[in-house]
Amino acid sequence: MIMYPHRIHTYYLAFFATFMLSVTAPCMANAKNTAVSFKKCLTCHPDIKKELPQEGAHRPFKELQCSSCHNPHAAKYKDLVKEEIGKLCRSCHQGNKGLADKKHGHRPFEEGECLACHRPHASKNPRLLKEKDEQLCFGCHSKEGSFSKKNKHDPVSKGRCLRCHSPHTSDHESLARKQSSQLCVTCHSIKKKKAQKAHLGYPVEGTNCMSCHSPHGSDRKALVKGSLHQPFARERCRTCHNGLSSQDPLGLKGKGASICIDCHPEIPEDFKKVNAHINQGVFCVACHTPHASDVGHLKKAKEAKICFNCHEDTKRHTRDKRNEHKHPLLKEGKCSPCHRPHGSNFRLFFAADEINVCTGCHERHAKFTHPVGKDAIDPRSKRDITCITCHNLMGSPEQFALRFDRKKQLCIQCHKGY
Amino acid sequence: MPRRSILALFSLVLFLFVPATGFCKQKARVKHLTSITGNKEIGQFGLLGGVFFDENKNRLYVADTTNNRILAFDSDLKFVSEFTAGGALDSPTSLVRDGRGRFFVAGPGKGRVLLIDIAGKHTERIDFSAVPKANPVHPGNLAVDSEDRLYVVDKANQRIVVFNSNMRFERQIRVKDGRGLSDVKVGPGGRIYALNTVDGSVCVFDARGKRVLKFGKRGTARGEFRFPVSLAVDRKGLIYVVDQHMNNVLVFNRKGEFLFDFSQLGWREGRLHFPSYIHINSAGRIFIVDRQNARISVFE
Repeated sequence: MIMYPHRIHTYYLAFFATFMLSVTAPCMANAKNTAVSFKKCLTCHPDIKKELPQEGAHRPFKELQCSSCHNPHAAKYKDLVKEEIGKLCRSCHQGNKGLADKKHGHRPFEEGECLACHRPHASKNPRLLKEKDEQLCFGCHSKEGSFSKKNKHDPVSKGRCLRCHSPHTSDHESLARKQSSQLCVTCHSIKKKKAQKAHLGYPVEGTNCMSCHSPHGSDRKALVKGSLHQPFARERCRTCHNGLSSQDPLGLKGKGASICIDCHPEIPEDFKKVNAHINQGVFCVACHTPHASDVGHLKKAKEAKICFNCHEDTKRHTRDKRNEHKHPLLKEGKCSPCHRPHGSNFRLFFAADEINVCTGCHERHAKFTHPVGKDAIDPRSKRDITCITCHNLMGSPEQFALRFDRKKQLCIQCHKGY
Repeated sequence: MPRRSILALFSLVLFLFVPATGFCKQKARVKHLTSITGNKEIGQFGLLGGVFFDENKNRLYVADTTNNRILAFDSDLKFVSEFTAGGALDSPTSLVRDGRGRFFVAGPGKGRVLLIDIAGKHTERIDFSAVPKANPVHPGNLAVDSEDRLYVVDKANQRIVVFNSNMRFERQIRVKDGRGLSDVKVGPGGRIYALNTVDGSVCVFDARGKRVLKFGKRGTARGEFRFPVSLAVDRKGLIYVVDQHMNNVLVFNRKGEFLFDFSQLGWREGRLHFPSYIHINSAGRIFIVDRQNARISVFE
């Protein structure tokens, strides 16, 4: 048979069409089968079916696109989700691309635990939140402290935490939506006569309101914090600041830390140590507030929060989920029982040597322990064994905050041949 | 397929694959040489301060802070002697020795730097009275240059205070845009290298005190610091920074570009545990104060 060119062309087209049909038809059939099979999910998961009619249902859930998040066959993660929760949510909710670049992050957000606050399918609360307003926040954050005081900040009384705080990330401490000097004035005018009188005429615009005021609650009027620096309590601002008639009324009278040392002459001795937390200017205010505080010794915040401001890598280490075993004091945010914040002649700013700093509290261990001290030499390093030779109290994956697995690794670090 | 083609293909694969794996395997650029530890002769080390290698005398000096002494070792790192400056040493931390053989020892506990002239048998305090200050000088680490100028880290004022060879205050170098000044070294060409621990930056100044380079930051990526505490510069201008919390040393080129790091957390030879100070001699030997392991680790 002779094949004329136009017939070759026709046969070619026919072959191509048949081929394409054979490839696409099963896919279309599968697609139809897929829609049917996700409706089948509800047959076995009737509790989920009840959530469907809710107004605020998650769109993939409402549209029965279960495979957006779940693998119907098998998955590495709980509830057959396809990916780690944080990554899964971000695959659609990229949101403001700058969100992740901000300086401070809410821990559940940073750790990808979106379900700490949000429901994945449906919720009667906006934005799929598990609870409404402050009920959600107080699920993790304690209601004690400034929240339980006599006078409450209005947004706190109304449970409107998000008036001041960003739930995910922020460039400002405590996830504040703005810097303190700008946030508070969105509601509170400090230019009014009453406010000016309360501040004794000093031009406080642009300063940190939280140097004196609690943002949540206080037993004092005007939400002034509980413990007051004596000159502040006596309204003797000129003890430290220039007078109102000066060109710079809020400027400090003395140079550097002498402004504090003049009244606290015993303090410099604390810094005359081998290790000292000393810095330029009025470095005392790196940790202490000169006005009012809700924490002892006029500290600006809880100890760990202050320390982690500079020791950010230590903060990361202690918050790493793998390092679940740590000293209980660390979990309470306390550093000073073991470390001297001003200065120390011991390693690591310890309050005492590496044995006595522990046995001061762990008295039983002073008498009943693996040999420690100058007569017990670590064969690896040739120095004396101390408590922290074996323990890493800042956080370890091993029980008792040991540096190695006590059942198969720890002892043989030194005791070879067993 | 013809046998010749198979052979050619196999050879090509070998030719490409083997050198690639060879390049991937990084050669050890820095090797651990030895460690100086306490022993029966010198007793146990206490909290160790700084170290300094005197090129003229070929001696390594180590400040044993807790035991108020300075130990001297020869070029083979064998113990030679110890001295206490007649009891004048009080928690000595950093130490350096200038070309005239004078020791300078920082004693932050007393807020002073001592000049110890062994030959002249006298000791004196460096006079800070002429130094302008907001806070009293809190001396940290020290450095000397080829003209016997003394450089003192003044932590309380975020600056380096410079004294001339007659120990008169010459000038101050403010380390602005940095937080937590912790170390200073003078490198080739008289350049001054300053390390800020809190913001993890290295500032490089020319001999006149003008900043010519700033690099480094704290973070988790490779080449970023967790907690840098000391730095040194070798004769090629490579900058070595000790990271106390990563328990290693990061090395940068003259432009501040990260090259490599060495060592890691550990207790055995060659590993570090909270290292606190570094010094490099002209032969390229690296002396690291391995503070928590109470020893000096020597690399090259």
